[in-house]
Amino acid sequence: MSTSAHPMLKYLKTQAPTGPRLPLILCPGCGAGQVLNYTLHAVDRILEEDNWPKEHFVFISGVGCSSRLTSHYLQFDSGWTLHGRSLAIATGALLANPRLKIIVFTGDGDAAAIGGNHFIHACRRNLNMTIICINNGLYGMTGGQVAPTTELGETTPTTPHGNVEDPFDLCRLAETAGAPYVARWTTAHPRQAIKTITKGIRKNGTAFIEILSQCPVHKKTAPVELFRRLREITVSKKDTDAIAAGKIPLGEFCNLDKSDWIARYQQIIENARSPEAD
Amino acid sequence: MYTFCLNPSYCKGCGICIEVCPKSAIKSSGRIDAKGHELPEEQDMTRCTGCKLCEIVCPDFAIAIASEESTEEVPNEEK
Amino acid sequence: MPISGSKHLIQPGNYYLQGAQACAEGAMLAGCRVYAGYPITPATEIMEHFARRLPQLDGRAIQMEDEIASASVLLGASWAGTKAMTATSSPGFSLMQEVISFAIMTETPLVIVDVQRPGPGQGYITTSQEDVMQARWGHHGEGSIIALSPASVQDMFDLTIEAFNLAERWRTPVLIMAEETVAHMREPLVIPPHAEITVVDRVKPQDQGIAPQDYLPYGHGEVPPMAIWGEGYNINHVSLVHYEDGTVTRYNARTHFENVSRIHQKIENHIDEITKVDARFIDDCRHLLICYGSVSRTGVEAVLEARERYGLNIGFIRLKTLWPFAEARLRALVPEVETIFVPEMNLGMMIHPITEALRDRCSNIISIPSLGCLHTPDQILARIREELT
Repeated sequence: MSTSAHPMLKYLKTQAPTGPRLPLILCPGCGAGQVLNYTLHAVDRILEEDNWPKEHFVFISGVGCSSRLTSHYLQFDSGWTLHGRSLAIATGALLANPRLKIIVFTGDGDAAAIGGNHFIHACRRNLNMTIICINNGLYGMTGGQVAPTTELGETTPTTPHGNVEDPFDLCRLAETAGAPYVARWTTAHPRQAIKTITKGIRKNGTAFIEILSQCPVHKKTAPVELFRRLREITVSKKDTDAIAAGKIPLGEFCNLDKSDWIARYQQIIENARSPEAD
Repeated sequence: MYTFCLNPSYCKGCGICIEVCPKSAIKSSGRIDAKGHELPEEQDMTRCTGCKLCEIVCPDFAIAIASEESTEEVPNEEK
Repeated sequence: MPISGSKHLIQPGNYYLQGAQACAEGAMLAGCRVYAGYPITPATEIMEHFARRLPQLDGRAIQMEDEIASASVLLGASWAGTKAMTATSSPGFSLMQEVISFAIMTETPLVIVDVQRPGPGQGYITTSQEDVMQARWGHHGEGSIIALSPASVQDMFDLTIEAFNLAERWRTPVLIMAEETVAHMREPLVIPPHAEITVVDRVKPQDQGIAPQDYLPYGHGEVPPMAIWGEGYNINHVSLVHYEDGTVTRYNARTHFENVSRIHQKIENHIDEITKVDARFIDDCRHLLICYGSVSRTGVEAVLEARERYGLNIGFIRLKTLWPFAEARLRALVPEVETIFVPEMNLGMMIHPITEALRDRCSNIISIPSLGCLHTPDQILARIREELT
């Protein structure tokens, strides 16, 4: 019997008066749990190195398998909120308390379908938050339906004759919408993911980090097989030939310095409250 | 020398830890537990370098790599 | 809770303001420091006023990309410890219903102003009371709600402060069912000395000596003390059916019933405390006029003229609170009467709970509808005289 516990369990609520909360409700081999693991490693590193108060970290999610990560597991302030609206809610929290370090867990459907409008505006407004989009290319919670990120031709319960739509490139969307930090990795790139998430949290402004992930149940494929496939279908962003041949680029796509919403508005507040303004 | 500590109540037998181990220090136990999960177990921990990739990739926080140098008793989450 | 002594708050005195401005100033006095909204006629003036004024108070106003986002901002702001408000009109109100439902379940204090305009659809941009049922039943699922009905610029000020107080006291979203009339009208407004204004803030677990490790996010009583983000309480806001400790697995019907009925009864068990009803000429009246909102202004004129000029013994009741519906209070006030008139700027909505409440006191309850414009006193009086003479 083991006497050691996973180092990130110190950040999770494992018990409740009603019984154990763990293991996570997610399916065996689901990538969302891995993303939580990577994110907690990033937060752990930041707590150790940056002296930020742990109480300032807030996790917000919407609805879907990705969003279950906040459902009742975290030893942090959090909110398991409305489908697609987590970014608007995060905006409200920052307007009230700009010191909060907000990390949003979202999925491809949550962010790019129902949440699409809020997604592009959050990127445009550049409020200080880290958006971690767990992209498995489908709607997991409801049964594997087509998503805005599903490949052309894929068969899903709502595209039983094949998907006739092209998918979004979420990173290009985020970049075009104005997010100053945009990056993509997969669950099969743990160390890169942790490093990038750390950087994203530290980045002042909207950081958008897409993590391609596996859904073994709806892909009807063993987790390890999908894990290998994630490495096969992706390449470094520098490998332009492979990208032209259809591989998905990974890495940091932009890292700009841009003043954020709160800083700009702070100028307005100071002007409004200055003695000359009366 | 490292120990592969597995919490069987958290592990769902996804096998990703076995896949990422660069030293083949762990393997599938070949046994299915009461929940239908095929849990991993140590194969040859003399090969383990303590890289902790298995810990990092575990979707269910079921693994801890313990080194014999650490004498700190970490609470058992099974309580 | 004393009002902060900022010189930028509206100072005591006599003013002549638009209802929209009075509403915003009341909110700021009550402590609102986050405003989010989307332009929509006839509510936009409220947002524009906040946009000018909130920075002076170290608050932040933002125009969001739609009404759903605007209402969602209020959730985050409230959870982060700040009072927040949005104002919209009827089409935007429809969009906010999911957020309202979510706020009820998560017991989040926030204030939404619906400056009603006619519908359905685009309808028109004049005045209306067509959302008063949507206020109660528009959100999916169970759970009661508080909705206030201002009838004057002074009300837009007073009832907005009241709305924030109710939201904080009962940990619930509160609706201000204004109308275009009352938001756009300009009237004298009296701002009392700040010391005379009561402002209520939510009870936090710290106030009750509850430490983080002992805190039950949805426990400790009928209205759970509310932990805010950033203070180490590790509070998770969740709208799935939950236990008192916030866990969401191990679903069972009994916990479900307990969870939702507590939230429902939290409001319904305190109707007397929450609701306000004004009554005039009630004693021994033979007939009655019941109204709310702007219609109270012309309704009372009609009643006065009916009494003084035509000798009709007609009483007057104004509902200042629409929801929860003050059925017991109405039954206590209203004797047996021959006729009840209910003028509304819709085809008859509040007449339904009124009829349900007073069916045994009166067998002739009459709707006086108007769509898109405020009844004139003559219109109401004509219907009264048609019925009674």
